[in-house]
Amino acid sequence: MENHFKRFSKTLIAAATAMAISGVAQAETLRIALAGPATGPVAQYGDMQKIGAMAAIDYINAHGGIDGMELEGVVYDDACDPKQAVAVANKIVNDGIQHVVGHLCSSSTEPASDIYEEEGVLMITAASTSPSITEKGYEMIFRTIGLDSLQGSLAAEYIAGTVKPERIAIIHDKQQYGEGLASTVRDQLAAAGIEPVMFEGVTAGDKDFSALIAKLQKADVDFVYYGGYHPELGLILRQSAEKGFKAQFMGPEGVVNSDLAKIAGEATEGVLATAPKSFDQNPENADRVAAIKEQGQDPTGPFVFPAYSAVQIMADTIAAIDSTDPVEMADYIRNHSFDTAIGTVKYNAAGDLTESTFMVYTLHADGSKTAAQ
Amino acid sequence: MTEASLYLLQQIINGLTIGSTYALIAIGYTMVYGIIGMINFAHGEVYMIGSYISFIVITGLLAMGHIALPLVLFVALLVAVLVASSYGWAIERVAYRPLRNSNRLIALISAIGMSILLQNYVVLAQGSRDIAMPPLISGSLFEFGSLETFAVTISWMQVLIWVVTLVSMSLLTLFISRSRMGRACRACAEDLGMTNLLGIDTNRIIAMTFVIGAALAAVAGLLLGLYYGVVNPFVGFIAGLKAFTAAVLGGIGSIPGAMLGGLILGVTEALTAAYFPSEYKDVVSFGLLILILLFRPTGILGKPEVEKV
Repeated sequence: MENHFKRFSKTLIAAATAMAISGVAQAETLRIALAGPATGPVAQYGDMQKIGAMAAIDYINAHGGIDGMELEGVVYDDACDPKQAVAVANKIVNDGIQHVVGHLCSSSTEPASDIYEEEGVLMITAASTSPSITEKGYEMIFRTIGLDSLQGSLAAEYIAGTVKPERIAIIHDKQQYGEGLASTVRDQLAAAGIEPVMFEGVTAGDKDFSALIAKLQKADVDFVYYGGYHPELGLILRQSAEKGFKAQFMGPEGVVNSDLAKIAGEATEGVLATAPKSFDQNPENADRVAAIKEQGQDPTGPFVFPAYSAVQIMADTIAAIDSTDPVEMADYIRNHSFDTAIGTVKYNAAGDLTESTFMVYTLHADGSKTAAQ
Repeated sequence: MTEASLYLLQQIINGLTIGSTYALIAIGYTMVYGIIGMINFAHGEVYMIGSYISFIVITGLLAMGHIALPLVLFVALLVAVLVASSYGWAIERVAYRPLRNSNRLIALISAIGMSILLQNYVVLAQGSRDIAMPPLISGSLFEFGSLETFAVTISWMQVLIWVVTLVSMSLLTLFISRSRMGRACRACAEDLGMTNLLGIDTNRIIAMTFVIGAALAAVAGLLLGLYYGVVNPFVGFIAGLKAFTAAVLGGIGSIPGAMLGGLILGVTEALTAAYFPSEYKDVVSFGLLILILLFRPTGILGKPEVEKV
């Protein structure tokens, strides 16, 4: 009897210790990399992503984490530069992080995604819209934002159906995002039988567009679609106003930014743009918007809630399959729908949303936007 | 006048405007090279700092209200020139003078390091985003051609740029050719060692060269800041590159060469963008540089380097 008890007591003590240790091990933190531009001309878009993701992380942590496991957002800066993005991706892998919300610029996300797919790291981008990112048959790559091809089609549809201009010019910034969009718009317009009078590129970072504007004036253009980001469009708008060049301008969500109004001033009024639906206007997100405002942050950026949803999707998946293994998570994500801040999310085989989230807006000189008629 | 010739005229006007600003910055490169034989890669950043200072002063003075615009601009110019000149002087003292007698390559690396330091210093101080200013000088001097065809406009801002660059370059030329200091500068450019032996304080002359270059870059910074209305910490890099190209094109070491090179580069860029897809603007500009260097390595107005035995 006593022998049995002694042996049994040792087993009991061993079991108790094991359970205690595993209990401690359970309260670990899961690090999620937030990769995007923290410096450089488009840093404020990286900020939007960070605001959304951190808001979701804070909310989840405040509500007990995922089965007691806390989330930690770790920011990595790629400055919207493809070379730096590759370095960042390698660093994330070396740091042992297996879950990434990012990157932001399509030209950064694409090379980084090659590395993540190879290393089995799960990546959800809240802002990269270039179609080629999900055309490679990767398993680990997802988006919580629509595609440029959808954004471009929407723009072309709007131009052909609602604006119906006489002479269209399509300008782009020669980068993956801008040129991709411009090409999509041109191709879609061609399918509708509309030929632009000009299809040209400018260099991102350029400040002087007087030659371009004189060219547009000479060609008697009355509608300009610009594929690119707000620094260049802002200058084009401003210089067009100074030179007396009047046309309807339209851009993608890369120009939807209060900085556009700061650069272009009055010339911003009436500019059209396609952008993700304003999730911050959705009454279901009222609490989340309030929580973000409480932190002194701006919840209206187009990438805030897509980033929020990316974290939600990751958290819901981990809770559902009780594992943080990226490959298992990717499989789960592909086959299930999620209830997130951007609505119900369902994926197709390529990792894209099955529902488009873009809308046409009219921009105003005070930095706000309203739905276009 | 036909529409085609009006268009050409407009593009030439645009080209001359941007070209004069390249010329202002290029003078800084060419003067420094002429005297100590090194390329001051941090010069573009001095232009950027001049731009920032003008923005800060103009925004500050306008916020105080009820000050006449010409006075605001004049004060901004003064402050920008003063601050940029002190930067120019400090850069020379810190990054170049200690390396005066070492390998040229080392001084080059020091220059690049200084450029990166200044860029990131401004990023830390002001943030890396664009800072914008509403248009202060608008409207055009005159327009001709009717509005149905193409109308040529010359804006007040363009006139201001021409006038200010013309005045600055004339003052500089007068200074170099007529004053005693200017003569000392020319002597240093010809033969630094000999000038030193003749009792002229070459260190002071070199410091002054940097200061003059920086002052002109600050003027360009103010003008382009007003013209574009936007500045960020990275504008110095591109502007510096273009200005350096202009200096080499016109003949590095020659001040009239820098002026000519700037204007040629500006007009070439504008005409290329006018008649070919805008993408080729930079290709043609730098292609022109390569051609000139192939056939005339010292640039258009450069003096061939003579080996003195």
